[in-house]
Amino acid sequence: MNDAMSLGVHRLWKDRFMQVLDPLPGTRLLDVAGGTGDIAFRFINWIKEKELQQKKASPGAEFRLNPLETDDSESAPDLEFPSAEDYLYSEQREDTTGTDDRKDSKVIICDINQSMLEVGKERAKKLGLEDDVVWVTGNAEELPFPDNSVDAYTIAFGIRNVTHIEKVLCEAYRVLTPGGRFLCLEFSQVSNPLLSSVYDLYSFQVIPVLGELIASDWKSYQYLVESIRKFPNQEEFAEMIREAGFRMVSYENLTSGVAAIHSGFKI
Amino acid sequence: MAAHSRVFLPFRFAILKTPQILGVHTRFIPPQAENCSRISYNHGDRGTSNGEEWTPPLYREHQPTSLFQKALLTVGSAAVAITNPHRHDMIAVLGETTGYYALIRIRDQMKADPVGQQILSERPRINTRTIDLEELRALPEGTFGKEYVNWLDRNDVTPDSRAPVKFVDDEELAYVIRRYREIHDLFHTLLGMPTNMLGECTVKMFEAVHTGLPMCAMGAVFGPIRLSSKQRWKLRNYYFPWAVKAGYSAKCLMNVYLERRFHEPLEELKADLNIPSPPHIPKSTDNNNTRLNRR
Repeated sequence: MNDAMSLGVHRLWKDRFMQVLDPLPGTRLLDVAGGTGDIAFRFINWIKEKELQQKKASPGAEFRLNPLETDDSESAPDLEFPSAEDYLYSEQREDTTGTDDRKDSKVIICDINQSMLEVGKERAKKLGLEDDVVWVTGNAEELPFPDNSVDAYTIAFGIRNVTHIEKVLCEAYRVLTPGGRFLCLEFSQVSNPLLSSVYDLYSFQVIPVLGELIASDWKSYQYLVESIRKFPNQEEFAEMIREAGFRMVSYENLTSGVAAIHSGFKI
Repeated sequence: MAAHSRVFLPFRFAILKTPQILGVHTRFIPPQAENCSRISYNHGDRGTSNGEEWTPPLYREHQPTSLFQKALLTVGSAAVAITNPHRHDMIAVLGETTGYYALIRIRDQMKADPVGQQILSERPRINTRTIDLEELRALPEGTFGKEYVNWLDRNDVTPDSRAPVKFVDDEELAYVIRRYREIHDLFHTLLGMPTNMLGECTVKMFEAVHTGLPMCAMGAVFGPIRLSSKQRWKLRNYYFPWAVKAGYSAKCLMNVYLERRFHEPLEELKADLNIPSPPHIPKSTDNNNTRLNRR
């Protein structure tokens, strides 16, 4: 459905999103409202690619082949699936002795909708990435994570659907470590009037029709395009992010403003 | 802008003229607000508030659409219906978007007939709440009602699964097409056709001739694409000619209170309504069809 509506461009947006984030190995990422895993899987692939590049650059250094797997071989096998806190504060993580002082990269996907998480788990299984992700059900306005626990917080096409955007931004600020980055990919306003007319025509004439044809659901897609218009524009949303406490807030327009990547740091 | 006007002229024309073609959804102007958390979603009745123009819905489930959207729906639903015949809702949408003039003709036919007028004013519905299926099952074999429930059970369908009408922009015509949709199963029973593709194509041909709805004609013409050559042979030589004849000879079924005639024997009802029985396909010619009768 996303492919039909955006003609596949949403994949390019998400690729650019990961490029902007440019995570280094050892980053702990919390992906909110990312139930289907698009961002998380890109993150994992990005980290793996980075690790390979580092391995090629310094062949003599010691490294672990699969740093995203926790090093369970020494400790007792943990049959219970670890909670998010355990995962974030596990002993293996804090054991940074030895030549390798890099932290493990981690990605946690948090979504309020269990069925979206199930879809994401299926996709992860197909891609062979099921062990690299932690799946948590939770509300973006009240995250079940401790303060200062993640290095990067991403939310892609999710913040438009929350009831209180400020609460989500405040929660994001809370769970990020100092120096952590907030990154948001969301639909935004097209400023160019010519393109804006074309975009409006397409949104209101074509998208609900596609929703009816493909998903037998006109109303949800009508609601979608209306909610995009009601969401604050790039500057207003940047101001909201600043009000939540983030600094060095900036945004990048994608496809002339159809989507925008907002970035802020907890400094 | 003047220097480039020749380049932009067609585009400007398109932008200026499109409001007429596009109807209601021309420009959405978002509300101005300083603190965006104070924006509340104004759903109104339907949640379709869109700039200055807003066509209110005429009936429950009504979805106002522009001409452009209807055209897109027509093309899209036809494409989806032919590639996935299980999408009955797409066939319904196709009927709604293309049937405006045919529905007017049917409605006028109904208004010209006393029983039709009664149906239009009383607006009867056919679903499990208005029809007691158990009572029909208790009827003797050979009656219309008994044949109907047998047909429902055999084909594993229920009268409750009709898609609601959404894209007809007139409240009375919306009822007319809903009535047609609800008595479609009764047509199947009267014609003795099952709900497989062959039976559906036959009934569609009957309805195309009988009601004049373009969707039925499209279904009858394009539906057979999904059939095997043997089935198409049967359609061409037996079922279609019979369906066309029945469609012309039958009394206007939109003007008949079919649900009040369940107790009548089926054959008598068919005679009364001038519906001939389905053709019998002889076994011997059935086997020879690929060699002798294919032109």
